[in-house]
Amino acid sequence: MTDVQDKAVAATPVGQSSAGVAATLFRFQSVFGLIAVFIAAIIFSPRKNGDILFISADNLANVVRAVSEIGIIAVGMTFVILIGGIDLSVGAVLGLAAVGSAVLMVENDWGFLPSVVLVLAIGLVFGALQGIATAMIGIQSFIVTLAGLQIARGLARIWSGGQGVAIAYGDGPNEAPTSFALLGERTFGGLVPIPVIIFAVVAIAAVVFLRISAFSRHLYAVGGNEKAARLSGVPVVRVKIAVFAICGLLASLAGIVHAVQLNQGSPNDGIGYELDAIAAVVIGGTSLAGGRGSVAGTVAGALLLGVLNNILALNNIDSNIQLLIKGLVIVAAAALQRLRPTS
Amino acid sequence: MRSVKIPVAAAAVAALVLAGCGTTSDKTSGAAPGASKSCKGADGKYTIGMSQANVAEPYRQRMDDDIKTAAKDVPQFDVKFADAAQDNAKQVADVENYITQQIDLLIISPNEAKPLTAVVKKAYDKGIPVIVLDRKVEGDAYTGFIGGDNVQIGREAGKYIAEKLLPQGGNVVELKGLAGATPQAERHEGFVEGIKGNPKVKVIASASGDWLREKGQAQMDALLKANPKIDVVFSHNDPMAEGAYLAAKAVGREKQMKFTGIDALPIPSGGIKAVEQGRLAATFTYPTNGKEAVAAAKKILVDCGTIEKTQTLPTRIIDASNAAKIYAEENPNG
Repeated sequence: MTDVQDKAVAATPVGQSSAGVAATLFRFQSVFGLIAVFIAAIIFSPRKNGDILFISADNLANVVRAVSEIGIIAVGMTFVILIGGIDLSVGAVLGLAAVGSAVLMVENDWGFLPSVVLVLAIGLVFGALQGIATAMIGIQSFIVTLAGLQIARGLARIWSGGQGVAIAYGDGPNEAPTSFALLGERTFGGLVPIPVIIFAVVAIAAVVFLRISAFSRHLYAVGGNEKAARLSGVPVVRVKIAVFAICGLLASLAGIVHAVQLNQGSPNDGIGYELDAIAAVVIGGTSLAGGRGSVAGTVAGALLLGVLNNILALNNIDSNIQLLIKGLVIVAAAALQRLRPTS
Repeated sequence: MRSVKIPVAAAAVAALVLAGCGTTSDKTSGAAPGASKSCKGADGKYTIGMSQANVAEPYRQRMDDDIKTAAKDVPQFDVKFADAAQDNAKQVADVENYITQQIDLLIISPNEAKPLTAVVKKAYDKGIPVIVLDRKVEGDAYTGFIGGDNVQIGREAGKYIAEKLLPQGGNVVELKGLAGATPQAERHEGFVEGIKGNPKVKVIASASGDWLREKGQAQMDALLKANPKIDVVFSHNDPMAEGAYLAAKAVGREKQMKFTGIDALPIPSGGIKAVEQGRLAATFTYPTNGKEAVAAAKKILVDCGTIEKTQTLPTRIIDASNAAKIYAEENPNG
């Protein structure tokens, strides 16, 4: 859906016509989906001494913390999918960034800030290079990022020496600065994990960025019809490179968060995370064909997956059955997209 | 419509966090974990959470099965299972979910030590007794650890090869596990000690098969080409030994050499059956500790007793003389 169409839908007062209601329902399907799953989770939550375990403060904090890494990646993935691309390298870039954080701070005794800046820069450049290969050489992003996945894993293995680099905190040699440890802590009376705040900031920044910058119009234009976008003067190549760079940057940010939460950077971190991120984007209502979707939907999609994972685990559903249920939810979300009226 | 997006996005994140702020069902217990708090005796009902690193590995699936079987004999126990599918982050969430469920005891076989240490400590500090299996966590914030001794297993295997298989000496090739993995280093270390007693036993080559059958087979292909005389293949686990056997069979040399493995899983595709069927000369048990974990849980919860901080289970030699008998013992129901 293009920018213009967005505004046209918004101009229709909700509830005036049934078509308007349907459009709104479909537009925010993941938000309504999240609410539905949330209510179902309360109903099906195990109880202990009269308390509903699911809505305990600790548990809800755990739910959001558990999806924070996937959520951060999924925001970047939304950008890529909006232009009709895909990024399969994000899980491997997360692993590379986790290894980088650990090696720089523990083995090379770098400070917190330079390490984080370098790791983020690596993600940014890695993403930009994939964007260049896609936009300038014209290789499909599926292939480019499939190769990127292998390359990032290979680099992570070489950099780490093949095994996990444990992170200990302190001021001595081979210890990471204690300021880094703070990223894994909880705030607001020990309730809200810092990774949750990082996720929230990334999500809000992405939504605001899409709203205020001209870049957003270009993004939806490239995804909607690349040829038309080019003819109407959209810098398609630059947009593509920027989008993959942002996705790489966010994947490496998630890698830093991953390393601090697990006190380790391992080349095997983040295996399969790209699929979870794509699932969050799809549940969020973004079309894999590009040009249609929103970051808000993705955030709701990621949270929906988190709530679903949590309530299945709290009820001790067999892990094999859990896989089936999650698969069916993704299919259902995609099926709903097909029903969505094209305005 | 864009103007609606920000509040929606913000609300989506905030809703979950804020909804939590309103409730105060968080129960923190300052009590030190110990038998006195968690033990309700024989009349109690207990929920035990088992957090497994990865059930895709047959060894770990068998560990879960052993726990399930052993727990059937303790009517007070209800055991729940979670599988982290080899993802440290998933296993952290699994343990957090068990804490939320207020389980009475946690059994965990950690995917890796460092990333799981903090969450295991969190459970332990909440007063939940924790039994750690196979792989350790760091520090001492757990009730007890039960595991095998890989150095001892390697030593037993080395001795068996030096004394039983090659008393007159001979050429051995070593198929190692994944480079960098602790069990690989420990099994190798023990093996080198074990064969010292017989200086005529020579390790002529070694290669890493990454614990995998197909990798073991590929490595053995190369070793066979390079070495015209091999008497024994010592493999760090059974699947690689089976792969090596296949490689030797493909060039018609399987009768010229003997194969030994480690793990001896009592399952149809495991090492004990391979010995029984004559492909492997011997294998050495690497205990799953499932039965022992349930026994330890019973001691803590039902008998109000204490358990040892570290319990190391000895290995057993499985060869043609006892394979069928031990397989039957381990699978009483067929």
